[in-house]
Amino acid sequence: MILSSGNFAVTSGFSQGDTDPRLPVAVINQDGGDPSTSSGLRLSLRLVSLLENSEVIAVSQDEEQTLADYEKSLAKGDLAGILTIPAGYTETLLTGNLPPLILEADTAQTAGTTVQGEILAAATRLVSAVQTALIVGETSSAFTPAFEQALAAWEEPPIRIETASAALVETEEQPSTQVASLGHTAPGMMLQFGIASLLTSATVVVNERKTRSLQRLLTTATRRPHILLGHFLAIFVLLFAQFLVLMVFGQLILKVDYLRVPGASLLVALASSLCIAALGLLIGVLAKSEEQAIAFSLIPMFIFSGLGGAWVPLEFTGATFQAIGHITPIAWAMDGFKNITVRLLGLESVLLPSAALAGYALLFFLLAVWRFRRVSE
Amino acid sequence: MSAIEVKNLHKAFGDLKAVDGVSFDVQQGEIFSLLGPNGAGKTTTISMLSCLLRPDQGDALVMGHSIKADQMGVKSVLGVVPQEIALYNDLSARENLTFWGKMYGLRGAPLKQRVDEVLEIIGLTERAKDRVGKYSGGMKRRVNIGVALLHKPQVIYMDEPTVGIDPQSRRNILDSVVALKNQGMTVLYTTHYMEEAQELSDHIAIMDTGKVIAYGTNAELVKIVGQMDRITLTVSTDGGRVAEAWKVVKGVKQVKAEDGTLVVLAEDSNQVLPRLFEAASTQGTRITSVTIQEPNLEAVFLHLTGKALRD
Repeated sequence: MILSSGNFAVTSGFSQGDTDPRLPVAVINQDGGDPSTSSGLRLSLRLVSLLENSEVIAVSQDEEQTLADYEKSLAKGDLAGILTIPAGYTETLLTGNLPPLILEADTAQTAGTTVQGEILAAATRLVSAVQTALIVGETSSAFTPAFEQALAAWEEPPIRIETASAALVETEEQPSTQVASLGHTAPGMMLQFGIASLLTSATVVVNERKTRSLQRLLTTATRRPHILLGHFLAIFVLLFAQFLVLMVFGQLILKVDYLRVPGASLLVALASSLCIAALGLLIGVLAKSEEQAIAFSLIPMFIFSGLGGAWVPLEFTGATFQAIGHITPIAWAMDGFKNITVRLLGLESVLLPSAALAGYALLFFLLAVWRFRRVSE
Repeated sequence: MSAIEVKNLHKAFGDLKAVDGVSFDVQQGEIFSLLGPNGAGKTTTISMLSCLLRPDQGDALVMGHSIKADQMGVKSVLGVVPQEIALYNDLSARENLTFWGKMYGLRGAPLKQRVDEVLEIIGLTERAKDRVGKYSGGMKRRVNIGVALLHKPQVIYMDEPTVGIDPQSRRNILDSVVALKNQGMTVLYTTHYMEEAQELSDHIAIMDTGKVIAYGTNAELVKIVGQMDRITLTVSTDGGRVAEAWKVVKGVKQVKAEDGTLVVLAEDSNQVLPRLFEAASTQGTRITSVTIQEPNLEAVFLHLTGKALRD
């Protein structure tokens, strides 16, 4: 078989009718048959017949089309290949050899290799039947029945190997693998978005200090922790709203079932928002300039997300990495969300992660208050 | 009765003594100015009196509340106009005033009414809905002052409120300061503009390098330089020889040679100046420039520190 590859790009969307999903292949049959037989045996027709019965290839034969016409169609992507059965095909086949076929297809494309494989399989089947018939039926009269029988035997082989892909046994409570995968990815992305808002929350405090609005707030009869609490609540509300929007998106579009235990999802989102808002506040109090605020935000953003399993599930890592990862609040948030979406656990499963997140929130907030008191005096 | 009693305040930042033993009294209902060049310690003093900075030493009472022991008491009687425009540019004037009014504890109808009043006082009722970010520098300054008036404080601090604005806005602000005094408020005003301090103040404390170097009314301070005109001259020959000759000229009280110039203190520059020209001519010296400064705070500062207020 001669393959002419790379000349034409077979892309997609072959126009072989709207309902036939098979790959269209034009066949040019130059085989004149075997002149030595009285019936003029033309084995190329059997090859075409085998291809016509293929579940992969849809044969297209049009007497009025030339090779050049077909090549144009191939170039346009209307054909997946052009098969030319050369003259003398039957004669060569009757010698028991595999005669050459000419296939033009782009073997760099899946369609091209598929067509190539299917034609090769059909041609091999045909030559095998011919060889069988030549052994069994030494006379020309005995050849035809033996050939037909051998060819038919391919249709019902004595041994059939069936393969099937292993798949999870799906129950009502267990999500599909795709959903299970999104059950990790979606919370990871959601937390990534959440922690990215550290940039905004930290710069709010820095900008207020820059415009002296913060100092003016300090001249009012409002206590310092209350001023910080006001900032914290504003950041928290924005963050919590962001979590809610992303959870609704995940539920409706990505089919990640946050609403399976809505109270648990809300609790983890609430605790995560508290934690990130407090961290943003702390960074805002620590940073002396906008540049510092950005730098101080990026560090926990990458470290917490990376170590906390927002990018790669901690289950894929070793015990040590998992232990280190759980120093970060993101790991606890991931645990909480995955207990709902992947492990299909209930409300009680998110209590510990939520408590850990709330603990971090309190720690960050107290540090912010302490630092704020120091820097403002 | 004192509205503000400042007692020996000290504040250092590392090795820098920003405020070094400052004491003064501000009477209720008066305008009191802290006058001094940039870096004199005025803003640090006002920051301590606003409870933004804790003094290293000393204390102050604002309407009887200690800035150390009763900060909330101090803040409750206080309105502060910071040097910077401490507003939210994305909010309108009305929104800014409403926000700050809430921070000062106002709520509901009284808040709305007070915001309307303050907008009227600062003359921005028509532009109340515009974003502050779109305002001119002068308009922002007016809102900046308006914020401090919302809760009708007994004492108001104004830290260089006229810096960087046009003369018309400056005039408006100075008029509004006088109006505040007329309403019974006590105003502590910091500036490095001598004319402002002279025009507004009942009492003035002149500050330099963290210390109060002079304190009193405008008239009292001017007396320090003895109501004399200060004439600064440059001459074409040796200043020392000319100075000796000028000391005996009638009407001249003092002659000093400073950095290539001669500084003459005289009771009346109009009468003395022709005599100085005559004496110089006798010495064969030509006077190349003359500057006359009548007695004012600038002269006082110059007299006390040897440098100009704007140095």
